[in-house]
Amino acid sequence: MTFLIQQTLTYAVPLMIVALAGVFAERSGIINLALEGIMIFGAFIGVLFVNLTQKAGVFAEAKAAGDWVALQGFMVLAMAVAALMGAVFSLLLSFASVNLKADQTIGGTALNLLAPALVLFFIRIIANQNTLQMAEGDSASWFMIKKSFFGYGRGDEMGFFGRTFIDKTYLATYICILLFILLSILLYKTRFGLRLRSCGENPQAADSLGINVYVMRYAGTTISGALAGMGGFVYALTTANCASTGDVAGFGFLALAVMIFGNWKPLNIAGAALLFGLFKCIAASYASIDINGDGVFLLADLGISPHFYRMLPYLITLLVLAFTSKKSRAPKAEGIPYDKSTR
Amino acid sequence: MKKFIALVMAAAMALSLAACGGAPASTSTPASEPTSASTPASEPEQTDAVSADDIEDNMTSADGTYEIAFITDVGQLKDKSFNQGTYDGVKLYAAANGLSYKYYQPANGDQATDDDRYNAMKAAVEGGAKVVVCAGFMQEGALRRAANEFPDIPFIFIDGYPLQAKATEYDNAGNALPNDSPILTNVAAIAFQEEQAGYFAGYAVVKDGFEKLGFSGGGGGNNPACCRFGYGFVQGANAAAAELGKTVDMNYSWEHGANFSASPDLQTMMEGWYANGTEIVFACGGSMFQSISAAASANDGYVVGVDVDQSAQSDTVVTSAMKGLADAVQWAVAKVYDGTFSEIGGVATSLGVAEHAVGLPTAESSWRFETFTAEEYNALYEQVLNGELTIDSDYNNLEQEYSNLNLNII
Repeated sequence: MTFLIQQTLTYAVPLMIVALAGVFAERSGIINLALEGIMIFGAFIGVLFVNLTQKAGVFAEAKAAGDWVALQGFMVLAMAVAALMGAVFSLLLSFASVNLKADQTIGGTALNLLAPALVLFFIRIIANQNTLQMAEGDSASWFMIKKSFFGYGRGDEMGFFGRTFIDKTYLATYICILLFILLSILLYKTRFGLRLRSCGENPQAADSLGINVYVMRYAGTTISGALAGMGGFVYALTTANCASTGDVAGFGFLALAVMIFGNWKPLNIAGAALLFGLFKCIAASYASIDINGDGVFLLADLGISPHFYRMLPYLITLLVLAFTSKKSRAPKAEGIPYDKSTR
Repeated sequence: MKKFIALVMAAAMALSLAACGGAPASTSTPASEPTSASTPASEPEQTDAVSADDIEDNMTSADGTYEIAFITDVGQLKDKSFNQGTYDGVKLYAAANGLSYKYYQPANGDQATDDDRYNAMKAAVEGGAKVVVCAGFMQEGALRRAANEFPDIPFIFIDGYPLQAKATEYDNAGNALPNDSPILTNVAAIAFQEEQAGYFAGYAVVKDGFEKLGFSGGGGGNNPACCRFGYGFVQGANAAAAELGKTVDMNYSWEHGANFSASPDLQTMMEGWYANGTEIVFACGGSMFQSISAAASANDGYVVGVDVDQSAQSDTVVTSAMKGLADAVQWAVAKVYDGTFSEIGGVATSLGVAEHAVGLPTAESSWRFETFTAEEYNALYEQVLNGELTIDSDYNNLEQEYSNLNLNII
């Protein structure tokens, strides 16, 4: 059970935060199809930052001394850098769709094409191969929270709560959840959030009340870029051993599906992401999931082909979207470039 | 304004295409030494004072031709395992003899076709290669074509077997039709008795006290080398368990390793194994090591490395089932240069314990067993060497009843 919960969270959290990134852009009226591209770029920047910092030996002392607080700080710093560069990368989309009034779908697609190519190009130059990894060690030994940090020995039990939510987890997961909550409040309970959302529903009306639609849309897309960049790095950190390969396994597109499935509402998105994360976890490790702890691996014993389990997350997405998309309601003005003269 | 955007988009796409096309081809960028710079040279197979890691991967020759060419297998050049180990041999020989060398990666990465591999070999020959080292049995089709086309160029087929000029054809029922085409004498086939290295590793870890083992192999179960490693590992573990009078469990899987790369899926599967009590996993497949060692590190588990001594890469590595790739390549390339290539051309060379080409790393820093001693290892090695102990290499026998081992094939 512990394993299932931890792995589900590991997969769900990047999806959740990137889906929220999509919400911020779409609520402001910009379709951000580029989530995948920004994730790839963010993952690359984060890994590059970790790699270069390690090479420079900045945190070598902290690592040697087992100073895990400093290492967590290092990780948060890498997340911040990834978020920053994700935001910068998303400016390309904002510029194209706000200033140039370009078709947002095509703009996003272009960024999706650009990011993996650009990233692979740089990785090739930097690492002379197709994967950029940490300069030394692995993500678990550098960034994972272990029970030994809190004085527990190898054989000591932390109890169900500690075992599941503290031991062998990443701080990044909780930062993302916290950010998810804070930003949801920002979007729904503050003046800024209301203004942002109004630009996605009826920008003409918003403009007539003195809200600068362009600024709001820039803000929405930039927050979106920052979250997606950070989500990309968190994905690489927690599931891919902090390696960047110009690929995030389609998580950006899955996040779009999660966003639509969640009807552009944070709480629903969290649920959708968890559902998807659960199936993704089952797909990868169905043979070692022991649900009630009795030593019987039910899913493996069923004798169903592993290919079926691997299809599951995508089948579920298809099914769920087919049944829920009727009720889904996108922001009304999304995808339409705002032109003052049409007011 | 629309036109401008169209222009930008077109430029973006062109750039992405160019980058895609350019990436897999061999670059001539004088790139600085990447991640491996931090890896200490502790590989015991290198008797030379020079470490392969200190030799540039890309060298530039004065006349633009490269005498010793290396064609990579699927996976990365710097996989810290099979490709890298083979290329180390190329680099060491070239550096010691002042020769030019270059590596060629077939286009399309993991999806490389015979055509892609053939093109890489052709490029190597046209680039002035006097000997072409090809890594991995998957090069067969391309190598046959290239060897026929360039009969004067010696090819060294690592993990390979002698090739006939024409491929054997099969009738509809799947039976091989008679093939009387001559053996290509410009292809030297070098294979290893991986089952011996796997046996040592399996024996050693069980003797060291591990009871729940795992094996995660690359190539989806179709790579003979990986199959031999795995089968040997099982036999060794079983033998040690029998000696200790206990029963051990082993998970055995080819999943998520078809193209020898690290992946989140593989990492999650491994997390599952370790979380359910598996103590040590034999990571048998190039870059898959990254995912497996990450999962081990997260769960305080252990790993057995493959092909080369991987102890420097992670503290989780207890030992490595090694084969002397670099030595074998140097030995074979030397045969080309001293004019005795005809001795190995067209012949199957199988290197094992007798040639000291397989084994576990015994250097102080790589010996991380708690109770298993080097003396025990040497005694075992001696037994295999003088023929007291033979290890079955026919991996089709994998699924059998073992006396002291529960094999759980996933």
